[in-house]
Parts: sequence; structure tokens; C-alpha cells
Amino acid sequence: MLARLLTLQGSYNYETMIGNGLAFAMEPALRLLPGGRNGAAYRDAIARQSRYFNAHPYLAAVAVGALARAELSLEDPARIERFRTASCGPLGSVGDRLVWAAWLPACSATALAAFGLGLSWQAVVLLFLLVYNAGHVALRVWGLYAGWTHGLAVASALGAPLFRQGPSVLTRALAGIAGAAIPLMVARAAGTRPLGVAIIVAVGAAGGLALVQLEGRVAGWRAAIWVLTAFITAGVLVR
Amino acid sequence: MAIELYRVDDRLIHGQVVIGWGHPLALRFIVLVDDNVAGSDWERELYRMGTPPEVDLYFETTESAVARMPEFAARPDPGLLLTADVATMSRLCDGCTAIREVNIGGLHHRAGRSPCLPYVFLSAEDEVALKSIAARGVRVIAQDLPASDPVELGDLLTKDGA
Repeated sequence: MLARLLTLQGSYNYETMIGNGLAFAMEPALRLLPGGRNGAAYRDAIARQSRYFNAHPYLAAVAVGALARAELSLEDPARIERFRTASCGPLGSVGDRLVWAAWLPACSATALAAFGLGLSWQAVVLLFLLVYNAGHVALRVWGLYAGWTHGLAVASALGAPLFRQGPSVLTRALAGIAGAAIPLMVARAAGTRPLGVAIIVAVGAAGGLALVQLEGRVAGWRAAIWVLTAFITAGVLVR
Repeated sequence: MAIELYRVDDRLIHGQVVIGWGHPLALRFIVLVDDNVAGSDWERELYRMGTPPEVDLYFETTESAVARMPEFAARPDPGLLLTADVATMSRLCDGCTAIREVNIGGLHHRAGRSPCLPYVFLSAEDEVALKSIAARGVRVIAQDLPASDPVELGDLLTKDGA
């Protein structure tokens, strides 16, 4: 089941979102239902778990564990359906705050700091992948374990300090890391020439101000393209 | 500041709400209106865990939400009201004339619903209820995130396919 969690988004679509992936991930456990793979209980459970489900892909491991346990405990299907509906939002919220808004940017800033400190680009990429995926895989392992252990009463596990205070702690750490990383990165990118450093800092400051002004009014990918364009332009000018 | 956004979203509290809208609006409270959730301990606990600690969360039935609307309106900080379906929002609009705009943020696939946008699938009953909300002079738009283009109800109902 843990390995199958890595394929959760493989069948993503607008109708069932990751519902099919959820059923696929817990399918090995459902084989233990009365009648095995040819039984009615197995077929009903697969059909039930393949319906619409949408949550953060890493935290969905919690739902996989909890729902697999509920199915094997022969819980009332109405209660299972209610849990599926109710868990989508909170698992999405916790995952988005912890991973997309805190862990991923913190890992990115750490990689930039490593670049600024003189690591080769290959080492920087490797460092980012190792650190980010260590957190990502750990979250899936914990989620599956917590879901399986607590079953449908898994809400208490989401009250752990990692999920309640973790996002704000990580965000503060991110600010500190980014504050150290940016001057180091600029210094390395521009060499030691003061004019080069000044141009990059000016472009960066203007970009930062623009992003603050645009918060909530422009999609992230559009903002990222602007930042990338400004960075490349500044890099060409400086070189 | 009171309630800045009245949103219909079948996932209720999730990332788009607490981060996508929560950060730009600087949300300090959420009113979750759902008769089933209000009466279920474990569901309330689950939604509470999905809400940032600095945001107050109120669970209300449709009836109690209407009764407490003046209290929420008097709060000095910005808030957001959520329902999981159009019918509940329609009943709220019946009981509260202060609602001037309703946001359709996410109604996903279910039997009997047809796709209008990738994040909006509507049943015939939903369409009737949305038209009745609009008939009261309330602006109805579909918009999942602040940076997305809002889709007016008239355009939403003519769209076909995800």
C-alpha cells in the first residue's frame, strides 16, 4: 500500500480527482475482505472507494489507512461515505499549509543557500531532492500508519504539533533561510563586482514589491514566469 | 469587516479556502454552515484540525447561522461563510438580506450533476436554486481562487463540459 501511494495522482481527473488512486492504493488490503478478490464485499468496497475524493496527495495516506481499516472492520458504508466526504477538506488544508506553503519553499530556500555557499549545481539539485523527498516520504509513511492505527477517529492525530504549529514555525524558518540565501546567491551569481550585485538586488527588490502588490490577484505560475524572465534578463545584463 | 465571502464549496475547509482566500483576505474567522456537521462531534473535530489555529471556527445550522448573522457582521475582523451545497446557501439568503454576493467555489462530480467548469458540476436542482438566489438581487459568480477570472451565473449556466 505504501508503494501504491506514490501513484495516487496517476489517474487524476476532474470527475473523481484522486478517487481511483485512493482505491488502487488500498486495494491490497481490500483483498482480505470476506470472499477475497471475487467476493461482493471486495467489489462494493472498490466501487465505493473509487468515487470522487480530493485531498492533499501526501496527506491522503491518512485517508487510505483509515478507510482500509474501516472497510476491513465492515463499518457501515454510510459512515465510510461520510468520512470520505468530511476528510477531503481537512486533509487538503493541513497538507497545503504544511507542504505547499511551508516545506517546499523552505527546501527551495535551503537549496538556494547551498548554491550561494558554493556547492555545484548538481550537488544543489541532489540536496533539494534528498531533503524534500525525505519529508514527503516520511509524511506518507506517518499518514498511512496514523490512519490505520486510529481508523475513522483519525482527527485526533491531525492535532499533533507538527500540523497545528508546524506550518507557522516552518514559515518563520523559511524567512530566515531565504534572508541568508538571497545575498549569498546574488554574490555568487554576480561575482564580486559591485555593479552586478546592485543590478540583481534592484531587480530582485522590484520583483519582490510587485509580487507583494499582486498577492491574490495573479496566478502563481504567471508570477513565476515573470520572476524567471526578470532573473534571466538580469543575469544576461550582468554577465 | 464582517463576512467578506459567502462561498459554496462541497469540500468546505481546505487549502483553497485557508490559503488561497485566507491569506489575501487575512481571514480571522470562518462560519461553517451545515446541519449534519453541526450535529456530529467527529466531523467538527476533523474540520477544526484543518483550520489554522489563529482562525476562529464556528459550526452553525442554517437556522442558528441566520440568527447569529448580526453578531458575525459586527466583528471587526474579516471572515468567510461556507456551505457545502447550493440549497443551504439559498436558505441563508432567504433569511439574511445582507448577503450581496455568493461565490461558487467548488461543487464536484456526483451522480446527477453535469459539468459547467472543471470545479463546478451542477444538478437541475442546483440551477433552480442559483437562479432563485440571483432573482433576489444577489450576484452569483463561480471563482475557485482570487486570481481566477470570475464567471457570472448567466455564463456559468451556458457552459458545457469540464
